Amino acid sequence: MFATLIEKELKSIILGPKFVATFIVCSILILLSIFIGVQEYRAAVKSYEAGVQLVDEEMQEATSWMGMRNRIFRKPDPMQIFISGVNNDIGRFANIRSTESIKLTNSIYSDDPIFAAFRFIDLGFIVQVVLSLFAILFTYDAINGERERGTLGLAFSNAVPRFQYILTKFIGSWLGLIVPILVPILVSFLLVIAFGVPITGEHWVRIAIFLGVSILYFTFFIALGIFISALTKRSTVSFLLLLVTWVTFVLIIPRVGVMSAGKIVPVPSVAEVDGQIEGFSKGRWDEYMKVLEKRLEEREKMMAGMTKEEREAYRDKHLWDWMEENDALRKDVQSDINEFSRILHEDIRNRKAVQERLGFTLSRFSPASAFQLSAMNLAATDIRLKSRYETTLEQYHKDFVDYVEKKQQEAGGAMGGIRISFSSETGLKYSFGPDKGSLDTSDMPRFNGINRSLSNIFAPTFIDIALLIFYSIAAIVGAFVAFLRYDVR
Amino acid sequence: MIKLVIEKELREIIGSTKFAITFGVCAVLILLTFYVGAKNHQLNLARYEAAQAENLRKMEGLTDWIRVNSHRIFLPPQPLEALVTGVSNDIGRTIEMRGRGELASVDSRFNDDPIFAVFRFLDLDFIFQIVLSLFAILFAFDAINGEKERGTLRLSFAGAVPKDKFILAKLIGSFLALGIPLLIPILLGCLLLPVLGVHLTGDEWIRLGLVILIGLIYFGVFLTLSIFMSVLTKRSSSSFLALLVIWILAVFIVPRSSVLLAGRAVDVPSVDELSYKKGRFRAQLWQEDRSKLSEYKPSTDKDPEEMMNQFNKFMQELADERNKKMQEYSNRLNEDRRSKQTKQERLAFGLARISPSALFSLATTNLVGTAITVKQHFLDEAHGYQQTFAEFMKEKTGMNLGGDVILFRMKRGGDEEEEKPINPSELPEFEYHSLTMTKVLNSAMIDIGLLLLFNIVFFIGAFVGFLRYDVR
Repeated sequence: MFATLIEKELKSIILGPKFVATFIVCSILILLSIFIGVQEYRAAVKSYEAGVQLVDEEMQEATSWMGMRNRIFRKPDPMQIFISGVNNDIGRFANIRSTESIKLTNSIYSDDPIFAAFRFIDLGFIVQVVLSLFAILFTYDAINGERERGTLGLAFSNAVPRFQYILTKFIGSWLGLIVPILVPILVSFLLVIAFGVPITGEHWVRIAIFLGVSILYFTFFIALGIFISALTKRSTVSFLLLLVTWVTFVLIIPRVGVMSAGKIVPVPSVAEVDGQIEGFSKGRWDEYMKVLEKRLEEREKMMAGMTKEEREAYRDKHLWDWMEENDALRKDVQSDINEFSRILHEDIRNRKAVQERLGFTLSRFSPASAFQLSAMNLAATDIRLKSRYETTLEQYHKDFVDYVEKKQQEAGGAMGGIRISFSSETGLKYSFGPDKGSLDTSDMPRFNGINRSLSNIFAPTFIDIALLIFYSIAAIVGAFVAFLRYDVR
Repeated sequence: MIKLVIEKELREIIGSTKFAITFGVCAVLILLTFYVGAKNHQLNLARYEAAQAENLRKMEGLTDWIRVNSHRIFLPPQPLEALVTGVSNDIGRTIEMRGRGELASVDSRFNDDPIFAVFRFLDLDFIFQIVLSLFAILFAFDAINGEKERGTLRLSFAGAVPKDKFILAKLIGSFLALGIPLLIPILLGCLLLPVLGVHLTGDEWIRLGLVILIGLIYFGVFLTLSIFMSVLTKRSSSSFLALLVIWILAVFIVPRSSVLLAGRAVDVPSVDELSYKKGRFRAQLWQEDRSKLSEYKPSTDKDPEEMMNQFNKFMQELADERNKKMQEYSNRLNEDRRSKQTKQERLAFGLARISPSALFSLATTNLVGTAITVKQHFLDEAHGYQQTFAEFMKEKTGMNLGGDVILFRMKRGGDEEEEKPINPSELPEFEYHSLTMTKVLNSAMIDIGLLLLFNIVFFIGAFVGFLRYDVR
C-alpha cells in the first residue's frame, strides 16, 4: 500500500501539465543562470588578469622607489557562478601605498551601474525565489485539493492509516519534485566542467553542501505547502495563505530584519570616518612641519657665523644624520596616523559586527534568509568577504611598505623624483633621482589571496543549516499533526 | 448593464477573504515602505551632514588655503531616493575635489555597508514590481475561466448581457476594485512623509505622483494580462500556471538576462584599462616636462624668494599645459568608453523592455533620479563645481592647486604672528541639481508609452478573446 500511494503521488505530479511547464522553465532557468555565471566569471578572470598585468607593468616601468604603490585585485572565485552574494557590490581592488589605509574600492556595480539596474541571476536566487514558489504551486492543494475532488474520501475507504497516507504524500511530493530538478542542476555542473572552469575538490565539497542546503530549503516549502493544505479546507485559501507566507519569508522578513538593524545600530559612514582620519592626519603633519621648522632653525643657528666653505662642510658632515632624524620623525607621524586609522576602523568593524549580528538574527526568522546566508557563506561571497580581504591586505600593506623602504635604503637613500633647492649661495639647483631604468621587483612580496580552510568556511553556515533543519522538521511535524486531525469527509 | 456587472465585480472582489488578506498585507507593506523610506532618508541625511561637517572640520586650524589639499563633495540624499532606490546605493557618493584634473566618485553605500546589499531595500519599486503584480495575477487569473468552472458565467449570460459589455465591465470592475483600495495606503504613506519630517518640494510631489501613476499602469498590465490569459485558457489552474511563468520571466529573468547578455555582446573597455592608459600618458607627459625643467633658468640666482616665485610660475604653466593635454586624452578615452556604454545600455534596455517590470523600473528610476544616469550626472555636476572651486582657490592662493603640481613656499622668521586660521565655511558650497522634470520625463516617456501599449494590447486581447469565448 505504501509503495502504491507513493507511486500514485509521483504519477499525479510528474504526469500533470503543471509539472512539464515548471520543469521546462526551471531547467531553462538553471542552465541559463549557470551559462551566464560562467561567462561573467570568465570576464571577471580576464579583467583580474589584465588588472594584475597592468599593475605589474606599471611597477616595472617605475624608475624610483619613492612613492611606489601597488594595487591588489580581488581574485574571482568559481563559486561566484553559483552564488554571487555581495561579490559585485564590494570593491574589486585596494591601493597599497604607505600613505593610504587599506580600502577595497570600485565595485563592479559602481564602475558599471548598468549591471546594478536589475542585479544578477544565479543558482542561489533561482532556488530561493523560483523553486520555493514552484514547491508551493505543487503542494498547496495536496490535501484539501484531494478532498475537493473527492479522492481523499475514496482513498480512506481503504484501510489506509492516516500517518502512512501523509507520509507517502510527503515522500511522493518530495521525490516527484526534487529528483527531476536535480537533473538540470547536475547537467549545469557538467556545463561548468565543459567550460573549463577551474573547480577544485574543495569547491566540489562546497557545491555538494550547497546542493544539500538547497534540498533542505526546498523540503521546507514542500512540507509547508502540505501543512497549510492540511490546515485549510479550500485549496484557494491555502494557496493565498502560502503566497502571503512566501512573500513574507522570501521578500519581506530578510529586508526588514536588516533594515531594522540599520536603524537600531547606526554606523558612521566611510566618508565621515575618512574625514576624521584626515583631520587627525592633518594635525599630526602640522606638528611634524613645526618640529621640522624648529630643527631647521636650530641647524641654521649652529651654522651662524661660519664661512660658506665651513657651512658646506658642516652640512655634508651632518646631512645623513639630519635626514635620518627627519625620516624617523616622519615614520613616527605615519605610524601614529596608521594607528589612529586602525583604531577607528576597528571600532567601525565592531559596530558593524553588532549590526550584522542583529540584522541577521532578525532576518533568520525567515528560512529564505537562512538559506541565502548559508549559501553565501559556502560560496565565500558573504558580507565578510570585504573585511576578510581588508584584514589580510593590512598585513600585506605592512610587508609592502617595509619592502619599499628597504629598497629605498638599498638605493643609497636616494629618494628618486626631483630635488630642488633655492639658495642665495648656490642659486636654483635641481637633481633628478638616479634613473637606473626600470626597477627590479622580482623579490617584491606578492599577495597570495585569502586562504581559508574548509572548516572556516563551514563554521558560519552551521547555524543556518541547523535553522533550516529545524524549520523543515517543524513544517513536517505540523503537516503530520494537522492531517491526523483533518476531517477527510 | 455595464454598471450592474461592474458593481457585481466590485462586490465579488471586495467582499472576498482573498481581498481582505491581500489588501491587509499590501497596506502594511506600503505603509512600511513609506515609514522605512522616511527613516532611511533621515539616516542618510544625518550621515551626509556628518560627512560634510567632518570635511570642513578637518580644515579648521589651517592658516593657509594652500594647505587645503583634500576637499570632498558628496552626493546629497534625495527624499524620493529612499522610496525608489534604483542604483543610488551602488554608485560612489563621494568625490575628492581638486582644482583641475579628472574626478571620480567613490564609496558606494553597498560597498561601505555590504550588509544592506545582501537583501537590498524595501521600496516602492519592489512593492509594485513584485508584490502588487503578483497580487494582480492572484485576483484575475480566473476572472473568466473561473466563472466558467463555477458555472456563474453561463448564469450571467442567461440574461441578455452583451459579451463586449460583460468583458469591459469585468476589466473596469477588477481595476477599480483592486486599484482604488491600493491608493488608500499609498496616500496614507504620502501623508506619513511630512509627519515623519520628510518635506517634499512641489516638483518632488509631482514626481512621486507620477511614480504612483506608473505603478497603477504597471498594475493594470498584469491585471489585463491575467484576464487575457483567463480568456485564452479553459482551466483556471492552466491560466495561473501560465501567468506565474510569465511573471517570473517578466520580473526576474528577462531584465537580468538582457543586461548580462548585452554586457557580453558589447565590449566596453574596463576602468582598469583606462586607468592604465591614463597612467602611462601621465608618465610620458611628466618625462617631457622633466626635460623642460632641466633647461629652465631663473632670471636671478641671488634672491631665493624671487627664484621661488618664478619657479612656481613656471611650474604652474607646465602643470596647466600638462593637465590640458591629460584632460584631452582622458576625455577621448572616456568618451570612447561612454559611447560603448551607451551602445551596451541601448541593447540591454532594448531587450529588457520586453518585460513590463523592466519598463516600470526604468520609468520610475528615471523620474526619481536614481537610474544609471545618476552617476554621470553627479560627475557632471561635480565638474561644474570644480571650476567654482578652482576659481575660489585661485582667488585665495593665487594659483590653481589641482593636478600634479609642485609648489614651493618660503617661510620667514616671525611669520607665525601674522598667520590667521582660515574660515572653512568660506568654501563655495556644492549644490547638486537633480535632472529637470522635462529631461526625466523625456527619458521615462518611452517606458510609460510601452506600459500603456501593453495595457491596450492585453485589453484588446482579452476583449477580442472573450467575444470568441465559449461561455457554456
